[in-house]
Amino acid sequence: MAATAQNTLEPLRAGGDKAKDEDMEEELEYSPFYGIEKGAVLQEARVFNEPHVDPRKCQQVITKLLYLLTQGESFTKSEASDVFFSVTKLFQHKDVHLRRMVYLIIKEIIPSSDEVIIITSSLMKDMNSTNDLYRSNAIRVLCRIIDSQMLLQIERYLKQAVVDKSAVVAGAVLAGAIHLAGANAEVIKRWSNEVQEAINSRHPMVQFQAVALMHGLRANDRLAVSKLVTQLVRSNVRSPMAQCLLVRYVAQVIAESQPGVGNETRPFYDFLESCLRHKSEVVIFEAARAICNMRDVTTRELTPAVTVLQLFLSSSKPVLRFAAVRTLNKVAMSHPMAVTNCNIDMESLIADPNRSIATLAITTLLKTGNESSIDRLLKQIGGFMSEIADEFKVVVVEAIKALCLKFPQKYRGLMNFLSNVLREDGGFEYKKSIVDAILQLIREIPEAKEMGLAQLCEFIEDCEFNFLSVQILHLLGEEGPKTKDPARYIRYIYNRVILENATVRAAALSSLARFGAHCPDLRDRVLQLVRRALYDNDDEVRDRATLYLYQLQRAPQGPESVDPQWRIPAKGLEAALTAYLEQTDTEQPFDLASVPEVAAPSPAKAKAKPQGLAAAVAAGMSAAAAPVTQTDEYAEMLKAVPQLAALGPVFKTCAPVQLTEEETEYKVVCVRHVLEGHLVFQFNCTNTVKEQVLEDVSVTVDLADAEEFSEELVLPLEVMPQEGAGQTYVVLARPPGSMALGRFVNILRFRVKEIDPATGEAEEEGYEDEYQLEDTEVVAADYIKPSFTPNFRAAWDALPEESEMVDDYGIGQRDSLQDAVEAVGRILGMQSCEGTDAVPPNARSHTLLLSGTVVGDVQVLVRLAFGIDAQRNVAMKLAVRSESAEVSEAIHAIIQEA
Amino acid sequence: MSGWWQSLLDWLRSLFFHKEMELSLIGLQNAGKTSLVNVLTTGQFHEDMIPTVGFNMRKVTRGGVVIKLWDLGGQTRFRSMWERYCRGVQAIVFVVDSADLDSLEAAKEELHALLAKPSLAGIPLLVLGNKNDLPEALSANELISRLDLRGVQDRETCVYSISCKRQSNIDVTLRWLQAHAK
Repeated sequence: MAATAQNTLEPLRAGGDKAKDEDMEEELEYSPFYGIEKGAVLQEARVFNEPHVDPRKCQQVITKLLYLLTQGESFTKSEASDVFFSVTKLFQHKDVHLRRMVYLIIKEIIPSSDEVIIITSSLMKDMNSTNDLYRSNAIRVLCRIIDSQMLLQIERYLKQAVVDKSAVVAGAVLAGAIHLAGANAEVIKRWSNEVQEAINSRHPMVQFQAVALMHGLRANDRLAVSKLVTQLVRSNVRSPMAQCLLVRYVAQVIAESQPGVGNETRPFYDFLESCLRHKSEVVIFEAARAICNMRDVTTRELTPAVTVLQLFLSSSKPVLRFAAVRTLNKVAMSHPMAVTNCNIDMESLIADPNRSIATLAITTLLKTGNESSIDRLLKQIGGFMSEIADEFKVVVVEAIKALCLKFPQKYRGLMNFLSNVLREDGGFEYKKSIVDAILQLIREIPEAKEMGLAQLCEFIEDCEFNFLSVQILHLLGEEGPKTKDPARYIRYIYNRVILENATVRAAALSSLARFGAHCPDLRDRVLQLVRRALYDNDDEVRDRATLYLYQLQRAPQGPESVDPQWRIPAKGLEAALTAYLEQTDTEQPFDLASVPEVAAPSPAKAKAKPQGLAAAVAAGMSAAAAPVTQTDEYAEMLKAVPQLAALGPVFKTCAPVQLTEEETEYKVVCVRHVLEGHLVFQFNCTNTVKEQVLEDVSVTVDLADAEEFSEELVLPLEVMPQEGAGQTYVVLARPPGSMALGRFVNILRFRVKEIDPATGEAEEEGYEDEYQLEDTEVVAADYIKPSFTPNFRAAWDALPEESEMVDDYGIGQRDSLQDAVEAVGRILGMQSCEGTDAVPPNARSHTLLLSGTVVGDVQVLVRLAFGIDAQRNVAMKLAVRSESAEVSEAIHAIIQEA
Repeated sequence: MSGWWQSLLDWLRSLFFHKEMELSLIGLQNAGKTSLVNVLTTGQFHEDMIPTVGFNMRKVTRGGVVIKLWDLGGQTRFRSMWERYCRGVQAIVFVVDSADLDSLEAAKEELHALLAKPSLAGIPLLVLGNKNDLPEALSANELISRLDLRGVQDRETCVYSISCKRQSNIDVTLRWLQAHAK
């Protein structure tokens, strides 16, 4: 029936797709639900009201109603109550099958609570009947519809039913109780003795449900769950399903317990291991999965589980194979070595008829594969790729990409593989993932660049997706001119200009022009080709050709103007354009050069001063939400000032700090830039008073509290703008690589010129004035920037052991460990590794791994062990390793001061 | 042997000659609807009854007539649902506590509201004044005026004063019902 569930409009075909055409006509088989619709079924439902009930007919109608409900058909309130009331009339009938359907439909259709109450009396009568089928079903429906008040009235019956000798009845009430426990836990808790008795039931289902209910009642109490699990582990749980549940609960207890110190075995590990020898496969699998999912699982603990899963890999049941390979796939992410034993079994799964299993096997193999096995694997996958669906192919491509990044030496084979699959048929998503993979490989592996570009060139020869063609052409324009032999790409690109549609033609033309701009010896030839596009029938292509011809031949800035250093950030341009569109006077053409000049302090730097960033900073000030690290934009701003550009690259840009109150005359925001031997304070200033002009603005930084710094340079701001922000800079020198700290008192100095309200002109002579700003502080975290370390343990071991410094700190009372972890992380400003910044709920201890780079490009790694006691006092053990002992000391100093 | 024959004959007769009727039993709570059902089906009367939550369905065979009884709860929350179970029945039986003078007004309103429903037009109505064993109980005529039954013109209407406890007038009631069976 699965097929009918997907499409009710198509008749079912028996015999599958293999049946020949002529057979199909005869084998056409209609689903009983083919083409049914709600209106007609509701009409049919009238048979419920007839004085003589036809049980068969009624059952059919109810089945149809249930089918509609499961298909997501919704009934209006009045339709639902009509059906409900007519169904209640069927309670008169003694036919057991019909009665069962009646219970089902009531449970599904549940009308509003004020109507459903009408059947309470009938259900209670059934609940006490002698027929077990009536009793169990009535109990199930009752559990769905009663409120807590009614529950108290019938509690005694339900409680008794828990220990009923009929398993159906006991199961029904236990299942109902699991639902009721949500809102009426205290009532259900009174049944403890009965539920306990049910746990010892000989019937597997009853035992299963009783265990689930018992756990559900205690789910919020860790100690009680632990006790229950201990008790159940000792008693003999007979039902495999209950045993499965137990394994899950054990896994949960293990996850919440303290990780074992040193060699101490985990609690309950023995139990899980014994479950691996259970006679039911479900239990074995559940236990193996639980072991694999344990936190910080060791290879020794993992081995028995992997062995069992390995056996499953060669099972004849697809479900087992799938389950095993999926679990191993997950294990392979964290412990690739543990899984390598299974590689041979997994290789045979590549040919598995079930494609999900095959894909998982492939990706697992790719994860665990070593360099020597790659070629063999690629060969096997090659045959298999054409058989699987696109979404699986994407998974495989992702895995190949990861593998290639892991073994860069193998790029040749992997790249070949990618280009082969690129030529095969496939949808856009699939092609895009391949192109993305190749692009990333080109970026990451320099040797692979030429080869990758060549592959992509071939691909665009026959590419049906504009998006990808344009992307590749752009890349060719960027990278092609830098290669050894740029000429070879020209042909591919020019072919696009001749053969493709307008979008691709335009992109190809831009790409060509770049070759012309960057390779002087090719320029003449490129010009020739571009000229041909002057007669293109598309406007955009013609326009581009004309523009590039001009730029390559006659533009004053020379051919480089094809590829301008676009200093205006797109965001800034967008803001300026939006502002332009909003103003009513659009007669005046938009002047790109004039916009930034308004905000720029000195004409020399005018063009480089992006108004957009300034506006963004200003917006950030008022919104209190400072813009998220726009490090790149700031770096551009610094580079644009010649005096600052000379200082070298920026190591880290700190988040902006507001130095004035909200709503004062002047708004000043300070951004600290840390450089190798300097510290640059960038002050973004805005004048909010319309009646005055502020000129010659600078900030005096008092170095009294920071002896290690010396003032090197002050760049004043000529006029403080009224909108946006103008920048004044103060450059402080410090010993290169030092982590000097200090607190700075800042005073804003400027010349005020009042504006005469009558004439609107500023007076000639102004007067000097100053304004006290808030202090700025340089903290140690300014010198540390987060860095990404994929394998913390390897990196840790690679650093010299003697640089390690360990100390213990108490950090007082905290709400939770998560709180403490976040606080320390904030102080150090480093990147957390391996997801250790998330503390599992209820954890009593936690290890946080941090990695960062200190100014001077010194790598530093931090291992923090946190513990919390009953009074919520948090203690912390800090171990630091870095390339220099001074840095390690500095990290400890940061923590001591914090 | 003769008993066996007798039952066989009854069964055969019921196959060919039986009549059926469906009726719904309504009225305010504590009027004695469920008691009446018990008396009709088993002939027994219990003093302490629990209120009906929802409805009870009973079948009674009396004198060759199979009677299906929808005994509906009388509490306020169920009254809006009466109408659904009165549609298509052969007779509506409205039971009143003839000794509870305070609730008569409410009973009258409920009854007339129900009878005004177009879906129930023309269905014969039998009003039973229960508990006539109590001293303050009203007679049938008094009930007619108190419940304004003369205003009911569009259907056959009949009033009996009965007592489930004493089982008085139950036979008259049954006869009326049998007469209305199809």
